[in-house]
Amino acid sequence: MNILWRLLRQHVSMAQLSGFFLAGLTGTVIILFGLQFYLDVSPLLRGQDGLFKREYLILSKPVSTLGSLLGSKGTFGEKEIKALGTQPFVHQVGCFTSSAYRVSASLGMEGTGIHVGTDMFFESVPDEYLDVASEHWHYEEGSRVIPIILPRNYLNLYNFGFAQSRNLPKLSEGLLSMVHLNIRLSGNGRADRYEGRIVGFSNRLNTILVPEAFMKWSNAYYASADKIEPSRLIVEVKNPADERIVKYLQAHSYETEGDDLEAGKAVWFLQMLVGIVLLIGIVITFLSFYVLVLSIFLLLQKNTKKMQTLLLLGYSPGKIALPYQLMVVVLNLGVTVLALVGVWCLKGICLSRLRDLFPMLQEGEALPVWLAGAGLFLFVSGINIWIIHRKLKQVWNGK
Amino acid sequence: MEQIDLLHTLPAAFNGQTQIVSDVWHRELVFRKGEAYLLEAASGTGKSSLCSYLYGYRNDYEGIICFDGRNIRKLGMREWTALRNTSLSLLFQELRLFPELSAQENVELKNRLTGYKTRRQIEACFERLGIADKLHVAVGRISFGQQQRVAFIRALCQPFDFIILDEPVSHLDERHAGAMAALLQEELAERGAGVIVTSIGRHLPLDYTKILYL
Repeated sequence: MNILWRLLRQHVSMAQLSGFFLAGLTGTVIILFGLQFYLDVSPLLRGQDGLFKREYLILSKPVSTLGSLLGSKGTFGEKEIKALGTQPFVHQVGCFTSSAYRVSASLGMEGTGIHVGTDMFFESVPDEYLDVASEHWHYEEGSRVIPIILPRNYLNLYNFGFAQSRNLPKLSEGLLSMVHLNIRLSGNGRADRYEGRIVGFSNRLNTILVPEAFMKWSNAYYASADKIEPSRLIVEVKNPADERIVKYLQAHSYETEGDDLEAGKAVWFLQMLVGIVLLIGIVITFLSFYVLVLSIFLLLQKNTKKMQTLLLLGYSPGKIALPYQLMVVVLNLGVTVLALVGVWCLKGICLSRLRDLFPMLQEGEALPVWLAGAGLFLFVSGINIWIIHRKLKQVWNGK
Repeated sequence: MEQIDLLHTLPAAFNGQTQIVSDVWHRELVFRKGEAYLLEAASGTGKSSLCSYLYGYRNDYEGIICFDGRNIRKLGMREWTALRNTSLSLLFQELRLFPELSAQENVELKNRLTGYKTRRQIEACFERLGIADKLHVAVGRISFGQQQRVAFIRALCQPFDFIILDEPVSHLDERHAGAMAALLQEELAERGAGVIVTSIGRHLPLDYTKILYL
C-alpha cells in the first residue's frame, strides 16, 4: 500500500466517517426523494388533464341584500380590470359581455303543436377562454344563424332532475345539437328573427354563450351604444397554486365560482409539504457535512506534525492533500450513488401505491433529480477539497 | 544553486545583545558550492536556527540570506518545495523520521519523490553504514544512532547543491562516523555539491574548506 497513505490515514476515525456517511445518505435521500416526489405528483395537480383544471378563475362581486337595496351595480370598472391584469399571477383577463337587448327563444316541434317559449339572455367571452372546440363557432355579419354554447350543467339538470322525475326521455348532446331554436331579438326599435343552433356544452362557463363577434354587432345594433360594464370576469392565471391569488381576491372581496381555489390550495399545500421535506433534508445534509468537516479538521489537526515533516521532505501541499481529498470525494460519491439508488427504489414503491389511486399518473422526469444529486455531490466535494487545501496551507505557514 | 550569502544575519532572539562574537552572525559570509564548511558551536548559539533559516521553515531573523543573489524571504511555497527536491538537503538534528514506518520505508518516502536512487543503491547505503539488518524494522524500535544513519541515507536520496548536516554524528562512534564521512565524500563528489556541517563536539571527519565558530 502507498506509504504516504499509510502515514496519513492514521487517526482516520471510522466511527466519525460512518456517522457522516449515514447522515449524509439520509439527508441526500430525503432531498432527492422530495424532489422526485414533487416532480411525479405535481403534474397530477397542475397539468391540463390533471385532477383539477384550474387555470381559469371566474370572478364576480358578492351580491348582498344591502347592496341590492342601495342599487350597487356590482360590476367591474375599467380601472379594476386593468389593476387585475397587471397582477403578477395573472396571465390574461377577459370580460363577460351581456346582451343589452331583449332575447326570447322558442322551440317548436313541427307537427306536434308543441310550442314553448321563454325570455332569456346571451353572454359572450373572448374565444380563447372557451373550453369547447367547434367548427360552427363563428359568426359573420348578416348571417341568420347564431351558434350557442350551453353549460353542461343545464343538460345535467334536465336529464337527471327534470326528465327523471317526469318520465321524459333523456336528451344527449348530439340530439340537442340538432334542435333549432327560434330566437327573436328586439331593441332600439328593431326586431328580427334568427335561428339558434347549439354547438357545444361548456364545463367552465356557466352561462348561455354566443360568439363575441355576434355580441358586439348585436349590442351595437339592438341596444343603445352605451358601454356596458361586465359583472363577471374570466381570469387565466399562471400558477393557480399561487397564494397571492387568494390574498388578492380577499383584499378586494371578489368571489370565484366553484371550488377552483380549493384545488389551488391543495397544490399550495403540496408545495409547502415538499418544501418542508426538502428543508429537513437540507438541514440533515448540512449537519452531516458539518460532521465531515469537523472530522477532517480533527484528522488534519492530529496529523499536523506528520504533514509538517512531509512538507519539509519536499512534498507539496497538493500532494499531501490529495489522499484526503480522494477520501472525501469517494465518500461523497458513495453517498450520492447510494442515495440515487435509494430514491429510485422508493420512487418505484411510491408510484405503484399512487397508481392505485390515480391510474393516469405519469412517471415524472428523473433528470432533474440526477442533476440535483450531481450538483450536491460537486458542491459538497468542492467545499471539502477547498477546506483541506486551505488547512494544508495553514500547516505550511506553521499555524 | 552556486552560493549562499549571509548578510548581517542574526536570529531575532539575539536582538539587543551587544556582545556577539561569531564568525557567522552579523557578518558577511558566503557558502560556495563544492566546498565543505564546519560550524562549531556551543549549544544555544543558534546552530539549528541557522539550519532552519537556510532550509526555509523559519524566518525569525534579521539581515538577509540570499541564494545566488536572491533574497530567500521572497521565495514562495512552490519554490521552496522545488528547492527541497533538487537543490537543498537537510539532515535534521531531531531527525524527523516516522517511527511507525520501517527504516526502508522512511527512506523510500523521500526517494519516491525524487526517484534519485534505486532500491539496490539504498540497500548498499544501509550496508555501508552497518544497519542493513534494520532495513525492515520500525524506526521507533532502533537506537538513536541507527536512526541518525537512516535519516542521513534519506538526505542523500535527492539531487542537491548543498547538504546541511545538523550534528550528524552526535550519537555515532568513530567507526560509523568514518563510514558516514566516506559515503558523504562520494555523494558530494558525484554532485559537485557543498556541505555545511554543524557540531557541538565530535566532528564528522571531512576535509573542511573552512571552520567557523558560531
